[in-house]
Amino acid sequence: MKRVLLSAIFAVLLSLSPLAQATAPEITVPLRFDYYYTYDMVIEALNALHQAYPEMTRVEVIGQSEEGRDLYAFTLNNPKTGAELEKPGVWIDANIHGNELQATEVALYLLDYLLGKYGKNDEVTQLIDKNCFYVIPIVNVDGRFHFFSDANTSSSNRGLRRPKDDDRDGLYDEDFPDDLDGDGNICQMRKKDPFGEYKTDPADPRLMVRIKPGEQGEWTLLGREGLDNDGDGRVNEDAEGYVDPNRNWGYDWMPEYVQSGAGDYPFSGTGIKAIAQFARKRPNLTLAWTLHNSGGMFLRGPSQKGQGEFPREDIAVYDYLGQQAERITPGYRYMISWKDLYSTYGDSLEWMVNCNGAFGFVAELFQSSSETFKSREEEERSGAGDSDGDMDFGESNDMARERIQFNDHLVQGELYKPWAPYNHPTYGEIEIGGWVKFSSRLPAPFMLRDLVHRNAMAIIFSAKQTPEVELEVIEVKELSENLFRVRTRLHNSKALPTMSRLSQNRKLYPKDFLKATGSGVQVVAGGLLNDAFRDNVTYKEHRPELQFTVVPGFGKVEHQFLVSGTGELNIEYTSRWAGTRTQTVKLE
Amino acid sequence: MKKRTRIALFITLLATPFSLVAAQDGISFDRYHSPEEVVAYLEGISQVHSGFTRLHRLSSSPGGREVAMLELGPEITAEDRSVPAVFVAANMEGTIPISTEAALQLIQEIIAKPEIRQDKTWYVLPSGNPDAAAAFFSQPLRVDSRNGRPHNDDLDDQTDEDGFEDLNDDGIISSMRVRDPEGEWIPIEGQDRLMKRADSFKGEKGIYKLYAEGIDNDEDGEYNEDPPGGVNIGINFPHLFKAHTATGGPWAGSEDESYNLIRFIMEHREIGLVFTLGDTNSCLVPPKGGRRGEADLDKIRIPERIGERFGVDTSRTYSMDEIIELMQPYVPAGMQLTESMVASFLGLGAVVNPLPDDLNFYKELSEQYKEYLKEKGLDKKRLESADARDGSFELWAYYHLGVPSFSLDFWTLPEPESGKKEEPEITPEKLEQMTNEEFIALGEEKIDTFLKSVKAPGGFTAKQVIGALEGGMMTTKRMAEMLKNRPKPPDEEGADPREKALLAFSDSTLDGTGFLPWTPFQHPTLGEVEIGGARPFAETTPPPAMLNSLLEGQVPWIFEIAGKMARIKIGKTQAESLGAGLYRIRAWIENTGYLPYPTAMGTRNERIMPVVVSISGEGMEVIEGKQRSLINSIKGNGTTQVKWIIRVNDPTNVEIKARTETSWSDQAVVELGGAQ
Repeated sequence: MKRVLLSAIFAVLLSLSPLAQATAPEITVPLRFDYYYTYDMVIEALNALHQAYPEMTRVEVIGQSEEGRDLYAFTLNNPKTGAELEKPGVWIDANIHGNELQATEVALYLLDYLLGKYGKNDEVTQLIDKNCFYVIPIVNVDGRFHFFSDANTSSSNRGLRRPKDDDRDGLYDEDFPDDLDGDGNICQMRKKDPFGEYKTDPADPRLMVRIKPGEQGEWTLLGREGLDNDGDGRVNEDAEGYVDPNRNWGYDWMPEYVQSGAGDYPFSGTGIKAIAQFARKRPNLTLAWTLHNSGGMFLRGPSQKGQGEFPREDIAVYDYLGQQAERITPGYRYMISWKDLYSTYGDSLEWMVNCNGAFGFVAELFQSSSETFKSREEEERSGAGDSDGDMDFGESNDMARERIQFNDHLVQGELYKPWAPYNHPTYGEIEIGGWVKFSSRLPAPFMLRDLVHRNAMAIIFSAKQTPEVELEVIEVKELSENLFRVRTRLHNSKALPTMSRLSQNRKLYPKDFLKATGSGVQVVAGGLLNDAFRDNVTYKEHRPELQFTVVPGFGKVEHQFLVSGTGELNIEYTSRWAGTRTQTVKLE
Repeated sequence: MKKRTRIALFITLLATPFSLVAAQDGISFDRYHSPEEVVAYLEGISQVHSGFTRLHRLSSSPGGREVAMLELGPEITAEDRSVPAVFVAANMEGTIPISTEAALQLIQEIIAKPEIRQDKTWYVLPSGNPDAAAAFFSQPLRVDSRNGRPHNDDLDDQTDEDGFEDLNDDGIISSMRVRDPEGEWIPIEGQDRLMKRADSFKGEKGIYKLYAEGIDNDEDGEYNEDPPGGVNIGINFPHLFKAHTATGGPWAGSEDESYNLIRFIMEHREIGLVFTLGDTNSCLVPPKGGRRGEADLDKIRIPERIGERFGVDTSRTYSMDEIIELMQPYVPAGMQLTESMVASFLGLGAVVNPLPDDLNFYKELSEQYKEYLKEKGLDKKRLESADARDGSFELWAYYHLGVPSFSLDFWTLPEPESGKKEEPEITPEKLEQMTNEEFIALGEEKIDTFLKSVKAPGGFTAKQVIGALEGGMMTTKRMAEMLKNRPKPPDEEGADPREKALLAFSDSTLDGTGFLPWTPFQHPTLGEVEIGGARPFAETTPPPAMLNSLLEGQVPWIFEIAGKMARIKIGKTQAESLGAGLYRIRAWIENTGYLPYPTAMGTRNERIMPVVVSISGEGMEVIEGKQRSLINSIKGNGTTQVKWIIRVNDPTNVEIKARTETSWSDQAVVELGGAQ
């Protein structure tokens, strides 16, 4: 009840609030990237893209969320250069955590950029002609909706709208944070307290610093803005969920007591399950990007130590793509999920990699350290390590001071709410203030364009590296009457192999097929040509006309067939990722 | 495939009239019932007894069969359930036909006994993996636990293209033995129907290769390596699910049969007890522990990189409480660290062994069950039941639902009379009861004899074992556990004990039909072969004539255990006037059942909610205590006191409610005099 009322008030206040976004733009192609689109606007943008480029795009509803919102998939494929499943599939999903808005903007920018430059820029044209792109622009549609419509912090509203009794008192989702001052943000509450652990930062009266031993305290922090709605003595302890949509996938899933946010069972999220079903119908998924905020990281698996390291050949591919992504987006780091960040179970990336066989990255978009405000002299000094290193909530005092200056002078105060008095039913006279919901994890609109462009370019670099295979007949030699030696070469000019080593080791699906057939001819022997100079061949004992093979990244693989009879020999290569190639030779 | 569908259809047609009759008069166990008959029977029951039964259609299998479950109880139409439920799942692997019959027997008994469905709900799923279960009723006969999902087992260019063939047209897929220079098998001397692997160290040379009956349809040199069928539902559940196995499915719950069942159970939070009927038996043998990998929550190691960040000594171990205390200052104000958060942060992983407190009731109840079987005359020595498998329904029910999870099997082959052997002085069972000191005191000679009798791995001497016990590397308990967890060693002649038992049973009871004689056959690619060996299902499935006594004797044990469920009641209440309208109220909340509320696992995984004890009354104000007090656990036959100080101005009645989802609820009224 209370929430409904508050969101109604907020809706009214939205147009007046200094923290709200500029007036909603009309959605036309090319799209704008100085503004965060709401759920409805994202759908409008998808439809606008489709209308602008109808031949190459498809918009479809692939399922519904917990609250019944439609889940969209956008497919980009040029049918003139082949059917979808005949090409490497590049997967991009975004905004799986409801508050991580700019992920969607990166996905939209990528589409807008690619489609806008098709036929005008050769690199882009070739990229589209070669790949099929599958984009889930918003995974957590309820989360995105509520992030806009409800009062939030920058990190609330991540989860799925599946009721969960967080405080185990038999009541579900009954103690949300409350927007006490009605400004659309959940900020912080603090109370004057000589015994508190904080004092006003001498450098900026809006900030607080932890007291040092012996110092007089001034403030006690009371947590997020809210009330004890259920009267159990705790404030805001049972908000929506919490089921984390990125801990709910089927690979290496662990229950709640091991992995918080896991949900009751794998794919309990209705939308998550629908997306997984959509993905499963696309065996050509080669490369998967899942977009999050924040921290400035490109993560690869494994996400949990117990899984063991990836095979060496696969790591070489990840390193090649990851290091290039670091160059494209300065300040971002390419890292291993469990080792350099933390362990997770049941995340979407691992499911993509381990159950579907794709190569996959998580991008953690945006670094709050990019909100800089330094003179040249300060820049040099900070480089020398002369800073107030007292870390609090992962942020040093110096960083907070710099960010609030950034807020003052680059966005005219729109990211920080000054402290204001409030009479709280439990705590009495308190103050409410601090960073607003569009701060901290989201770039200010003027920086959004740079972020979406650089990250889209990192995705494009990797998408260019999906396998591109050529099939050549490199030799036809008559060994004796009616017995021919035919040698073939499959050459891959890109970094990704035609199947990951991990998929091969786990026997996820068959390798590529190389099949030699013909009329009037018979393949009597066939196998892997190890050394053409020495005629060293590993022949396959049964069904020699059918070879199972994988073409490595930037590499080749050669085969030899001994064929009796005369006539035409058709050689066909088929791959889940690299499509189909055929050659015909005459044996006479 | 087509043939199968036709047979299924035929049986359905036959079964429909039968089912209504059966629903009224009871099903008779003079034969086994196919998945289609089971569904028809449940449909009939739900029509005939519509007042207290309801049919739940959970899913359809890839083979087009329905997974149907019957609910029996007092709240079949209620949205919110006030009484707990027992969930009984049978034949999850689809290879144990008798377990389906047991579920049908159970349904009949529940129908016949109104008193056991008055205060609890029963959910009975007689055939959890119908595609696999249908194999028993199909020709040719073959055991396969997989559902009908197509699966490319041999990773070639075709799917399900190389299945089995009934070459000799006897309606049965059995074995083929072929003389082969690379053969590994030889007949056992004196029991030449049985085969064993040749042991080169004993100077034996293999003669035969063994194959399942069939041809190499796809001409790849392998026989029957890609038969129809995909996923074994019985191991497709999330506890210790193993990815990337031949029949386990791509992830836990990948199939509708398992996913919809998981979802139903998770959404029905009133389920407080689970039974799995199949080939395992935790009523008889308490669940096995001793698996490595469990994080001991009293001795947690903190990884160095995390230790450094928090300034913690990583060379020692910590208890969970200590870690929570250490880390609490680092989380944002107002946030309370929980076990689950710490476990996830430190990557402690899942519980993999039954918790000691829970083993107590499993052990006690297994003793009671043995007594019970003795009284029923069903305690003859039989082969051991199977071990619970990773990814199984029964393990999931215990570890993820946190409720008592029991399994029952109803028949294994009788243990063949060995006659000569005497019980050795020490057995693994006796070893378990001994302390290290008692065992060492036996002396080297006796210990050596013992090691020999249990066929301890080569080279283990009494000296080494005593050393390990004294050095603390080993305990008698752990040793006994290891010995019990080992696969049964073959007997003196090298025969597999199961095959030997089957042969004996076949000869004594089945007129020899359980074991097919090796008969020559001309195979298209292998040439001269012999077809024969164990008849599928013979070792798991007794003749129908045995069904009645087996089921009537063993199925009612389910009611015995259901009668021991935790039951929360408000015992005594007390109001003590402190003057000026202030009262101290006490309520003793009791668990009058034998089983604990909840299991230790249910406390650990936090899925079973605390008992919520609430107090309310007109004009009442709580001075001390919480209006909704939470009791995390109450052991079997245990009592916990809840107290409040409240203030009322006028005389009033205060109502106290104790609420649970899985163990009933209760309420009591306390009369107060008010401020006068």
